[in-house]
Amino acid sequence: MATIGHNNLNAKLCYFHQVLLGDMGAGKSSLVLRFVKGQFLEFQESTIGAAFFSQTLAVNDATVKFEIWDTAGQERYHSLAPMYYRGAAAAIIVYDITSSDSFTRAKKWVQELQKQGNPNMVMALAGNKADLEDKRKVTAEEARVYAEENGLFFMETSAKSATNVNDVFYEIAKRLPRAQPAQNPAGMVLVDRPAEGTRAASCCS
Amino acid sequence: MTEPQDPFSFSSYPPIDPINFDLIVIGTALSESVIAAAASAVGKTVLHLDPNSFYGSHFASLSLHDLTSYLTSPHHPPRAASGGDSDYFGVDLVHQHPCSDVEIAFCDDESESFLRENSRKFNIDLGGPRALFSADKAINLLMKSGASQYMEFKGIDESFVYEANEGLANVPDSRGAIFRDKKLSLKEKNQLMRFFKLVLKHLDDTQEEKISEEDLEIPFVSFLEKMKLPPKIKSILLYAIAMVDYDQDNNEVCKDLLKTKDGIDCLAQYSSSVGRFPNAPGALLYPIYGEGELPQAFCRRAAVKGCIYVLRMPVISLLMEKVTGLYKGVRLASGQDLYSNQLILDPSFTVPSLPSLSRRDVLTERLQMLSQRDIKGMVARGICITKSSIKPDVSNCSVVYPPRSLYPEQVTSIKALQIGSNLAVCPAGTFILYFSTLCNDADEGKKLLKAAMNALLTLPVSENSESIPSVQSDSADIKPIVIWNAFYIQKLITSKFEFISSTPTPDGNLNYNDLLDATEKLFGQMYPNEEFFPKATSPEDPKDEDEDEDEDDDGEDSGITLES
Repeated sequence: MATIGHNNLNAKLCYFHQVLLGDMGAGKSSLVLRFVKGQFLEFQESTIGAAFFSQTLAVNDATVKFEIWDTAGQERYHSLAPMYYRGAAAAIIVYDITSSDSFTRAKKWVQELQKQGNPNMVMALAGNKADLEDKRKVTAEEARVYAEENGLFFMETSAKSATNVNDVFYEIAKRLPRAQPAQNPAGMVLVDRPAEGTRAASCCS
Repeated sequence: MTEPQDPFSFSSYPPIDPINFDLIVIGTALSESVIAAAASAVGKTVLHLDPNSFYGSHFASLSLHDLTSYLTSPHHPPRAASGGDSDYFGVDLVHQHPCSDVEIAFCDDESESFLRENSRKFNIDLGGPRALFSADKAINLLMKSGASQYMEFKGIDESFVYEANEGLANVPDSRGAIFRDKKLSLKEKNQLMRFFKLVLKHLDDTQEEKISEEDLEIPFVSFLEKMKLPPKIKSILLYAIAMVDYDQDNNEVCKDLLKTKDGIDCLAQYSSSVGRFPNAPGALLYPIYGEGELPQAFCRRAAVKGCIYVLRMPVISLLMEKVTGLYKGVRLASGQDLYSNQLILDPSFTVPSLPSLSRRDVLTERLQMLSQRDIKGMVARGICITKSSIKPDVSNCSVVYPPRSLYPEQVTSIKALQIGSNLAVCPAGTFILYFSTLCNDADEGKKLLKAAMNALLTLPVSENSESIPSVQSDSADIKPIVIWNAFYIQKLITSKFEFISSTPTPDGNLNYNDLLDATEKLFGQMYPNEEFFPKATSPEDPKDEDEDEDEDDDGEDSGITLES
């Protein structure tokens, strides 16, 4: 996705396309909801109806705007379209610490991103539902070792208690290369009226 | 299965839940994806399946390796599944590979290893050449449905028409460009001026002066002659702007004689395409990452509205009610039976005619309907990879070879599109060229494509050894060397039956207008009381303002042709 730098007054604004991957029910949408709206729903329905969220963070000298794409349920039968993660600058791979299967699937998602995704993608592994300690099936140590071997950074999170949720996103924001030349060629987004903001018109080359 | 390393297969999927749907769609080509998105948008429950591991079916963009294996592998016969419900009669589906007469050639070993190492950097269109006019139906549908938010586009830099003896000439996309053309006499320019004024007045609702009803019904080519337009301009208007396929001057072979009213519509679409979006220099747009993004965007739109997606899931049979012969559902390769009111079927699936079923009269009748197919000719497609552009300093361009521009017996026009690495479809320093033409048989089609390629490119030697009508070459220019090429043929098939509908096969057009018209019509037949993409309601959806085009641009460079 396009990276736009505005260098006036040291205020740098960067746009990043970020994706969340992981088993259905691992808590992808809950993490986003906690991060974007500060909310948690005990019985979050399977995601339908939203394509992406956006959230802006001030990190050090820059303003980072995340466009967080939701899988829209296409992960359920492992049928995500490549367009979902192809242009992504960052990915959080989410698993549920109470499900070994979800950890196994998370590793498959990592494999897929390593094979198909942007080679400079910043990847985080999030062991979600850390509040359910008594039902834990995946040890933090096991996940940490896997993450280190694969160049991911790792955190256990809880969308319910808000533990480490903002931290994951801040950590990603810090690791994203600010001045990176656009990883992918920037094109235009079709807007049939005068575009608001810079996105539609000015990032075209 | 084309991907042995694929860690995911349908056998590892949980059973699909629920098992009843309003609509099951098989195949993720553009039409199927649009139907899935449109049905989901009006609240239908939709299950969308594809036997392939990728989205897009015949409209996918694939890596070089995947493209080669898709074209060359005989299609995987779905394995038989056991189990199922005895209330229904299972009719096995037969898959016919949509591409036939495949030929693939490398230039040399060095190119072969370069391409193998870079295979994944290619996103090659299976249905190419394809591009979108900025004001055409596909663009409007992308915006109306909200699918446009997942895609980015770039404009095609230049459009050319191939002229016998002269090579590539620019398609003049503005009035200024035509009037600067030194090859036209002052008299011809005045005739052109008169023509454009007339067309402009005709399209302007506030003007009284119109083209007569009588003229609107005559062939466009006759109207252009009546307006005394020079042959070169006539040819550009017919083949490079209205994009007709058959020689309009040859009544014996012409299958698509264009009427004046339709020709005027094409001019109007072209004119409103130029300058519709800032940063698109001409009339044509191309999606970053290739045409395969279009079906993906509609599928994503469908998923957002609740459609369930299952790739790598072959359907092995249709379930028909024994007594009535009505369609009830499908049996998957996983053995699961799923039910729906309606079914949309990828056109490459057929059912065999079953003569032994004389006992079940209604059923037999229905099955015979299912196996009936209407073949309306063929499209020949060719793909070339080069390391230099056909036109220096131009990366992305379209070329039309009008009938008879290559050799006298050429009765169809040939469309070509060159796309470079700035559209993220090939490694830096390489170009992909797509060619297509309509034809009556495979040999004729390939001969045409080879002649078109030879006019601008140097093909691998083995391909040249056949007797191809020689086209005069400008010896001064060094033609780009083709390091890889492929040819294949697709049949144009239509079929339709009550609760089971088949989407159209890829046609020979550059854009998707006809295909999307057929798709909208199909949707209307399936759901006569539903709107085809109603206005968006969710806040994530882009506003649908229906402003047709931005204010007309008066600048000559991007200028609208039809100005007074």
